[in-house]
Amino acid sequence: MAQQEQLSAYDQRMYALMNRNEGAPLYRTAARRRALVAAHVVLTVASVAAWLATVVGQQMWATWVMLALLVPWCAATGVINGATRGLLELRSRALDERQRAERDRVKARAHRIVTWLLLATVVGTGVAQLSGVDVKALVFQVTLSVFVVHWLMPMWVAGLSARDEPGPEGSEDE
Amino acid sequence: MSEQVHNRLAMVRAERKVSRQSLAAAVGVHYQTIGYIERGQYNPSLDLALKIAKFFGLPVEALFSLEPFQPLTDQVYGHGRDS
Repeated sequence: MAQQEQLSAYDQRMYALMNRNEGAPLYRTAARRRALVAAHVVLTVASVAAWLATVVGQQMWATWVMLALLVPWCAATGVINGATRGLLELRSRALDERQRAERDRVKARAHRIVTWLLLATVVGTGVAQLSGVDVKALVFQVTLSVFVVHWLMPMWVAGLSARDEPGPEGSEDE
Repeated sequence: MSEQVHNRLAMVRAERKVSRQSLAAAVGVHYQTIGYIERGQYNPSLDLALKIAKFFGLPVEALFSLEPFQPLTDQVYGHGRDS
């Protein structure tokens, strides 16, 4: 932990939380981390769809679906944060030089991906408009989806970029 | 730009019986960072390299080098002395 003496009580609590090892078996290998991020993407898509069904479609059953998805979504978010050791959750002063550099790389990569997705959205919207789709009716859904992707992309990228834990002391991989 | 910096941190750490956690706490980094330096997956800043060298009481070039380190046995007994 960088500059431990300057960390507030909140920083220290968050640092301890982000470095708990209970979820370690779930993100020990790259394949498991990919599966974890894929599950989180699926849960996010399902949650957004359920929320839109509730708010826009006024389907009350979707509220219960959304609430049911909330717990596994929070759990998956926590495990991804554990895999990255709080790379995106901790304040800069609680990260060391390698982690700060890694966070910059993750944010830059996520920014590039979201830029391309926004371009695809613009093109898709234009094509839909030309095809006679009532795009104005979809403004809220598209804007919400773009917002959620923009919000969560850094975490997905961080989860996929996380590396394997260094081996035990004195192991062959050192 | 990623020049490979070789190090013998793992060897020195094992020799001095220092855990990653205690070294990391002493120099103010995450213990994973020490592991990644040992694996050659992260090159420390000059600041961190100097802190690590100071912790072990060694010159920084004893721990980090742009050239691969010679095996310790070669350095102690001389290369190919027996051949």
